[in-house]
Amino acid sequence: MSLRKVLVEARLMLLGVIIFVWTLIPIYHLFVMSITPRVETFAGALWPSRPTLENYETVVKQGHYYLEHFWQQLWNSAFVAVMVCVITLVIASTATFAISRLRVRGGRLVSNMALATYLIPPAFLAIPMYKVMGVYGLLNTQWSLILTMVTFASPYAIWVLKQYADKLPYELDEAARIDGASPLQIFRLIYLPLMAPSLVAIGTYALLLAWNEYLYAFLLLSADKDITLAVALGHFLTTDDAPFNVLMATGAVYALPPAAIYYVFRRYMVSGLTAGAVKS
Amino acid sequence: MASVSVEAVRKRYGALEVVHGIDIAIPDGEFVVLVGPSGCGKSTLLRMIAGLEEISGGIVRIGERVVNEIPSKDRDIAMVFQNYALYPHMTVRENMGFSLKLRKADRDTIGERVKRASEILGLDALLDRYPKQLSGGQRQRVAMGRAIVRNPQVFLFDEPLSNLDAKLRVQMRTEIKALHQQLKTTSIYVTHDQIEAMTMADRIVVMHDGIVEQIGTPLELYDRPANLFVAGFIGSPAINLIRGTLRRDAARSWVSTDAGIDLPLNGNIIGQDGQAVVYGIRPEHLSPSDSQGLPVTVGVVEPTGASTFVYADLSGAQICGVFSERHGFNPGGKMHLMPQLDRVHLFDSATGRRLSA
Repeated sequence: MSLRKVLVEARLMLLGVIIFVWTLIPIYHLFVMSITPRVETFAGALWPSRPTLENYETVVKQGHYYLEHFWQQLWNSAFVAVMVCVITLVIASTATFAISRLRVRGGRLVSNMALATYLIPPAFLAIPMYKVMGVYGLLNTQWSLILTMVTFASPYAIWVLKQYADKLPYELDEAARIDGASPLQIFRLIYLPLMAPSLVAIGTYALLLAWNEYLYAFLLLSADKDITLAVALGHFLTTDDAPFNVLMATGAVYALPPAAIYYVFRRYMVSGLTAGAVKS
Repeated sequence: MASVSVEAVRKRYGALEVVHGIDIAIPDGEFVVLVGPSGCGKSTLLRMIAGLEEISGGIVRIGERVVNEIPSKDRDIAMVFQNYALYPHMTVRENMGFSLKLRKADRDTIGERVKRASEILGLDALLDRYPKQLSGGQRQRVAMGRAIVRNPQVFLFDEPLSNLDAKLRVQMRTEIKALHQQLKTTSIYVTHDQIEAMTMADRIVVMHDGIVEQIGTPLELYDRPANLFVAGFIGSPAINLIRGTLRRDAARSWVSTDAGIDLPLNGNIIGQDGQAVVYGIRPEHLSPSDSQGLPVTVGVVEPTGASTFVYADLSGAQICGVFSERHGFNPGGKMHLMPQLDRVHLFDSATGRRLSA
């Protein structure tokens, strides 16, 4: 390796290390505070003098006023996230199949218009959305949040899936048609299996979007038993002496599922399943 | 197996018509090649027969049945695509059995048919591999295997060998022909390669600009091209075409080129004295001569071993000759090339139509 290459590598490495540390510092703080006893919360040490798991115990046993419904709220978050993920996937996969594979007239327009919905920031739509849910009598039900999140996740999901769907060779559909497949069979037996990596990526996106949502969850749900954990975490900050170490412990627990999902599905994040379909 | 008949078939994209009324009758068991330059409509025609393109006008019959409105899946055809179009997430076995599975054949039948097809094509050892683990030639075989397990009425091939390298193409060409001789399924094969057409076809359909120029056996097209286009398209190296004027008197006819050289003709000519014509002679129907025939200046000499290609200049026109004997050709040297008179093709210069009987 030439000196020049070494220098380039070194610079990239340095940049990588900086970004890595930059990303990890907040998480490190979260973790350290979550294992710090209450009295030492703001001692500012890089490592607590008496590390403890008592904060986690409080969380798991719902041993704090703010955590009375912890398990219920965790379940709410999971339920909302999974439903948003599933519904978004159904909408996006069928929509892109129709647009990209069945080549429905006007499909391009639809996919472009879907993206145009992002011209308005979701926060601006909070009040209209609240009113719509009120009209349909869905306020204070988790379906209001689910439908809202699906609304925001679908356009992007359709857009991204369409890019991948367009890359699948159209001859595969034609070959399947000649082999005797109906459109539904092509969807099920050809399209879905080949789109699996992209579907996992998009599903993860929708899942995490819903899992992390605060504003709409806060707005559309109010009963302590209905709210998601994100909103419950926000409730910690309504007093002056918030129990920060318990909050951090809850936050750490809250961050585990997304981390696990990323870890499990990381191999789907890379494509390559379509290799060998046609000669390019 | 079934006959295929194409009657006055047209294809329009909006106002643009790309296939202008084509008639072809293909008897049961025949291997027909549609050949022509790109954009001539041959693939479009094949795709209309396959049901992948709508038919704008005319009738397509498979067997006795008009299939215009019948979807591909119910036409009982199989198609091999240029880029193979294998399902990448299925093994070779699953790829080949897919159509039977869709038809709800039982597992034993599928297994048996796949096994038989894979034996015919030499794919036995590859059945559990995925397409991406196969070479180009193997993928091509799987694509054909997928077609033959169906035991369809008609095979359709859309330039199936274009993506293979030259050597493999020649080998697969022979394999496909042998396969057809074995299965005797009616086949329609699209290619732009006239050698493929000549070597494989029972009959060739030469297409150009959305019409049929000529239909015939390979040797009919070669020996008696109906017009200038077919003459120029079939044969490699290409036929020599020389412009001139038809001259005839009581005793004989000949062509006088623009450069003032007289080219000999024998008797059977339709056409009038003074008519503008094109004189065609294939490279292998010229023989070297000391004083008779066309006076040329030798340009490039290309020995291939079996034969020698000579490119020569005839008063500005490029002439190619192919000789199986080894003459001593000197680049720059002068010589004469004598056409075999019964192999001369004469065409009307304006219409391109054949004038020699």
